[in-house]
Amino acid sequence: MTIHESYAKTIRSIFTDGGALLFCIVVPIIYPILYTLIYNGETVREVPVTVVDDSHSAMSRDYIRRVDATPDVRIVGQSTDMEAAKLMVQHRDCYGIIYIPSEFEKNLMTGKQVHVQAYCDMSGMLYYKAILIANTEVSLDMNAEIKTADLGGNPIANASGIVGGTDEQKLTTAHPVQYEYVQLFNPQGGFATFLIPAVLILAIQQTMLLGIGLIAGTRRERGIRVTKGHSTLLQMTGVALGFMTVYIPICVYEFGLVPHLFNLPQLANPWELCFLMVPFLIAVFNFGIAIGGIPRHRESIILLIVFTTLPMLFMSGVSWPGSALPTFWKQLGQIFPSTQGINAFIKLNEMGGHFEDIRYEYIALWVQAIVYALLAHITTKLVHKAGGDDETTNQ
Amino acid sequence: MLNVFLRELKRLATTPIYWLNMVIGPVFCALFFTTMMDAGLPKNMPIGLVDGDNSATTRSLARNLDAFQSSEIVAHYPSVTEARKAMQKGEIYAFYYIPKGTTHEMLLQHAPTVSFYTNSQYFVAGSLTYKDMRMMSELMSGAATRSVLRAKGATDGQMTPYLQPIVIDSHPIHNPSLNYNVYLSNTVVPGLLSLFVLFVTVFGIGSEIKENTSDELLATASKAGSWNKTQTAYKALFGKLWAQGIIFMFVGWALMLYFYGYLKFPCYCGIPTMLFVITIFVWASQGLGVLMICSLPTPRMGLSFASLWGVLSFSICGMSFPVMAMPSWIQGLSVLFPLRHYFILYVNCALDGYPLLNAWPYFATLCGFSLLPLLFAPRFGKIMREVAYAP
Repeated sequence: MTIHESYAKTIRSIFTDGGALLFCIVVPIIYPILYTLIYNGETVREVPVTVVDDSHSAMSRDYIRRVDATPDVRIVGQSTDMEAAKLMVQHRDCYGIIYIPSEFEKNLMTGKQVHVQAYCDMSGMLYYKAILIANTEVSLDMNAEIKTADLGGNPIANASGIVGGTDEQKLTTAHPVQYEYVQLFNPQGGFATFLIPAVLILAIQQTMLLGIGLIAGTRRERGIRVTKGHSTLLQMTGVALGFMTVYIPICVYEFGLVPHLFNLPQLANPWELCFLMVPFLIAVFNFGIAIGGIPRHRESIILLIVFTTLPMLFMSGVSWPGSALPTFWKQLGQIFPSTQGINAFIKLNEMGGHFEDIRYEYIALWVQAIVYALLAHITTKLVHKAGGDDETTNQ
Repeated sequence: MLNVFLRELKRLATTPIYWLNMVIGPVFCALFFTTMMDAGLPKNMPIGLVDGDNSATTRSLARNLDAFQSSEIVAHYPSVTEARKAMQKGEIYAFYYIPKGTTHEMLLQHAPTVSFYTNSQYFVAGSLTYKDMRMMSELMSGAATRSVLRAKGATDGQMTPYLQPIVIDSHPIHNPSLNYNVYLSNTVVPGLLSLFVLFVTVFGIGSEIKENTSDELLATASKAGSWNKTQTAYKALFGKLWAQGIIFMFVGWALMLYFYGYLKFPCYCGIPTMLFVITIFVWASQGLGVLMICSLPTPRMGLSFASLWGVLSFSICGMSFPVMAMPSWIQGLSVLFPLRHYFILYVNCALDGYPLLNAWPYFATLCGFSLLPLLFAPRFGKIMREVAYAP
């Protein structure tokens, strides 16, 4: 078989084998859209919360109004006591309780501290984050107003001569040091912006591994071997070109169109992105050939690959910070193209980095490409040898 | 049925891929996720400092920030650009910027501005370092006010309520340390178990078609004296499902005992309830698996269906990103994923300690899934008799 033949054969297999068609074409097209739709809300808004207001004062009502006005939380009701509030949480009518003690206004008027209790359901970290942020923001705002004696009746504020000061004096009293917070690269702190880049890279890796495994498995089951006279290398080049013909347009679609459709960050220089994709696709392909020969049945590749998707996502250090990964898992993650691919892609496309920022990942991907090529060479030989033996025994 | 049961056990024990999917895979995943997040909450994440002032005050600020739980200052940068570049290289998750002259202006009461930057592309790291740096900024502000008030003759007792009149006490119910291991492993690992159940159910039936052993299976089922076609189909299907189900049930139980007995994850309903819930969950996944292979009766298409559904369920179950923030049609779709129901039941029972029936609609749906094989047994019989494997 020449390069041309094996190329044509690969393309034909991808488009005629139901499994390969599904994994190499349908999934890479549909899944990025589906995942982006799931996460495109970016963050959770208006988390329902109930209030137990034992103070019943103008200031406590002010506090509640301000919390309700934040984008993160919505007050869905006032409960008469904690027991009633707990029932609301139990019935999933709300995800948190804000408790304002009876001495709320009295303390604030007489210069004493007061504690507001915020109880959060922990089924999701985002509920907790929303409830905590809403309450913290409101309390800091009110604290600043109390300090400048715009609110409450703080005796120290009176004694320190702040009352009646100029606006500038008040500002200095409320915030002697001001601060600004900038969320770089993901200004809304959103979930789609954070997770979708990793999903895109993983989708490419996992579907290509599955496609290669399915096609290799089919050939193996049918006992197709390397025809003598042509080198394995040439035939493999043909197969590789076949997969690249399919995956290059998919890369353009996933990295060009999908982020564009959903307004996700696209900071990468397209040429640098292409430059990165070359070793990534080669490494994934070689990895696929290296492991594609392992399973005995063609379906087994699905059983081997699919469940590793989640561990691979976590080992890349995107969802769980890389600095907190135990050394063993961190090192193990280094051998998969997805880890390098995800981090390099994020640096280029989400963080506006340049080529010098991804030097490590780039070199690692080439090393993987070479090592997996050697492994692929070995396993192909073994498989063909075993396949040949099977055939002779069958006959 | 016993004959089919024994035949299936033998098949499972003698094929390596079943071992991988029924024992090795689930155990690996359980160990992977629980050891990976063993720390509970990420600690000492690398952050940077751009200190244009370099005074005693700013140095003490840096020391304090360093002492916070989640952050560790690993580098000082001469400028914001340098720090931003380090962030783009992935060396730090965040940095704190103190402009030149901050201390001086603080003493003059000119309200200087400091700033902090997080790399929110890394969501967890960004949120946690933000929390630390914001707290630090509040403390810095407080320290400045404190020195002014002290000069004006206020006592410490008067100052604390002045600096922070309203304090928020947050109570994360039943997960006070914000343990990510509890938060994620509790759903991810059973989710992977469910994926393995789908695979084995689909592959177990599919391989009968593929290896042309379906007649043998039906013969084994009718050996016990049932001559009716439908009856044979029921016996064949349930014999198989029981053999797989019992093994998965034990794996599920081992998982629950590992979580709630060994790792001491919060379990306010008592371990037996969770053993019951995971059992229903395993059966529900088997039911869904039967639906998959009966609707697409070739191993490769059935397995593809199982993979796509199984992988999607981790996102759509709402464990990390709440379902209520998804588009409404996806919210509706989430009902079709058993993991969604398991997640709600786990939260309801183990995490919150409410009675199982408090979440009865979810429980009922899982039961519905587990009854699917009753519906599909006649079709299963037909497939076993008629469908020939097309390679």
